[in-house]
Amino acid sequence: MKNYLVKNLMVPISEYATVTVGTTFLDALQVLERAQDAYTVNKYRHRAILVLDLAGNVVGKISQLRALKALQPESDMAKEVDEIRRFRFSENYLAVLRDKCRSRAEIIKKETLLEAAGKKVEEFMQAPTPGEFVSEESSLDIAIHRLVSGAHISLLVTRDDRIVGVLRISDVFAALFQEMMAAVA
Amino acid sequence: MKELEKLFNRIVQRVNINLRELHFDVSPYAETLFPSEQMSKFYAFYGITPDHPLDLHFEHSALAGSYFLGKCRVRNSLLYKSDIRGDELKRKDQNIRFDRFSLTMNRDELIDIEDSALVKTLVHNYSHDPETPEKFYIKDTLAMDYSNIHGSPCDGSFLGPFATVDLTTMRDCAIGTYSYIQAGEISHMDIAPGTIWVNSSGNFNFFYKYPSDALDEYVSLSPEKVPWGILIDFIEQRKVEFQRVFDYANIESIESVPKTSSLDRYAVVLPNMRIEGNVLVSQRAYLENSSLGKGSNAQENCFIINSSLAGYNVTAHGAKIVEADMGSGAFVGFNSFLFGKKHARLRVGKGCIIMPHTIIDIEEPLEVPAEHFVWGLIRNAAELAENSISLEKLGTLRGAFSQGRMHFEGDGLLLFKAFKDRISHILDVNGAFFDNGQKAGHAQKNQRLSLNTIQPFQFGDMEGMYPNIRIFP
Repeated sequence: MKNYLVKNLMVPISEYATVTVGTTFLDALQVLERAQDAYTVNKYRHRAILVLDLAGNVVGKISQLRALKALQPESDMAKEVDEIRRFRFSENYLAVLRDKCRSRAEIIKKETLLEAAGKKVEEFMQAPTPGEFVSEESSLDIAIHRLVSGAHISLLVTRDDRIVGVLRISDVFAALFQEMMAAVA
Repeated sequence: MKELEKLFNRIVQRVNINLRELHFDVSPYAETLFPSEQMSKFYAFYGITPDHPLDLHFEHSALAGSYFLGKCRVRNSLLYKSDIRGDELKRKDQNIRFDRFSLTMNRDELIDIEDSALVKTLVHNYSHDPETPEKFYIKDTLAMDYSNIHGSPCDGSFLGPFATVDLTTMRDCAIGTYSYIQAGEISHMDIAPGTIWVNSSGNFNFFYKYPSDALDEYVSLSPEKVPWGILIDFIEQRKVEFQRVFDYANIESIESVPKTSSLDRYAVVLPNMRIEGNVLVSQRAYLENSSLGKGSNAQENCFIINSSLAGYNVTAHGAKIVEADMGSGAFVGFNSFLFGKKHARLRVGKGCIIMPHTIIDIEEPLEVPAEHFVWGLIRNAAELAENSISLEKLGTLRGAFSQGRMHFEGDGLLLFKAFKDRISHILDVNGAFFDNGQKAGHAQKNQRLSLNTIQPFQFGDMEGMYPNIRIFP
């Protein structure tokens, strides 16, 4: 057993894809591409971008899912679907309506892509939630509990009051595999 | 500060406390709601009849222009030109069923209004909440002009103008202008204006929402203004006709009304009206140059002008029918507005169901085919096609279905049957099927009803308030 700590598994923030508020969606994607090219520590690629304020503090995160959501054009029907969720319709019906809504609004077309490319990251980033942080001195156990209970794909790693890295679910999973193999050996 | 003002401020605060989680503040609407100078000008009145138990209890309340029937208690409340009709309340020893439960009433049901303000509001039917079968409560609630509280206990809620809550227990909810809600039980919901929602758990779910810009033309509300729009103007233009019937203690009866029909003395009847047998016309109904066929009814706040009803037509509370011909058995739901014109007459086929809160406003003649289910906003033939479905097709719907702005899920046949059964029940209790002394309903029983008036304090700090009064046989 290796008794991993979070700091053994995290990606330091200096190696992660980061952008500052005010960056456009397109520029953020280019930063992500470059960060992925530069990261050669292991085979798992970055899947999120951290958004920093002008003082360098982490104020948000853009996951791939969040980025895809930003691509979807807003429509009256999409708003209507959100509204009628409160009125006891089944999830199946709501899913059908969302599909209908998507089929009316094409994503892969020039106008939609240009509009999305110009969006500022703060318009669609996700602000960190309280359960999304973990200390760099925490055990693998604690990290797994936080990932599972919050359904996160990464955690922000702290040292004192500062965010010093990102703990990715892929690195945690790889470590878990190592521990399991050691246990059965 | 006078007692009336203190009472109103207290009610507003109580409603706001209940709606704080919705961040809904009724204060801006409330400021212009009660014409305090009018509260001492109008008497309140109540019905006495051998057919309904009598027990009226008024305590620290203002009741201007309001009507009471049956068992009712009003405490710390303000009522303005509202109708509290307790003629369908449950009776002692009556057995009621709810799902797999059966319950015997141990006393007569009571309408219990406390810490509430109701303006031109109709309260009718009985509590459909099985948890409070003997008390139809309305508590910490503010209801604006022409709202309907029908069989729906309310606690901590707001109803905008022309809003209806029907057969639904409601807690801490705000119901937007011209919304109709029938959903069993709702809590902590802020419902946007023009929402039509009929839900029967496990059976069907119907939803339609008016386009907001279009609805604003008919009725709208903002913190800066009192309700305005075509619907408000329509009523205001005819207000003067009601003054005559409310100004006189005794008004001449109309001879041409058949013995099996009932025409309330607080209804407006203008030439030339033809009323057949088993017809019920309630107080505050407005009839002009129209014919009401056998077994038809015009309930509170209805307007029927230059129109014909073939027979067995229900015109539910607040519905308006203008320049229209209604086929036999056609139903018009709460607060619907069928607005034909001289040059553009509306024809509604037999057996049609016009959903509550439907607006048909046309500039060209329009015909709704027989046996159709109709909802929403209709201004032309294209909108009729989008907002209607034949009852035959409705009966075959299973699962999910959408058409225009309407969403439906469940069993269409159950929705169809729910409406048809209810229409039949309404006709029955209203006495439409009265024959040879059998099946008497409101149309026949109301003929044995007499009215008394009560007056408010006219001077001093209590001006507009009513003395505490208990009235029982």
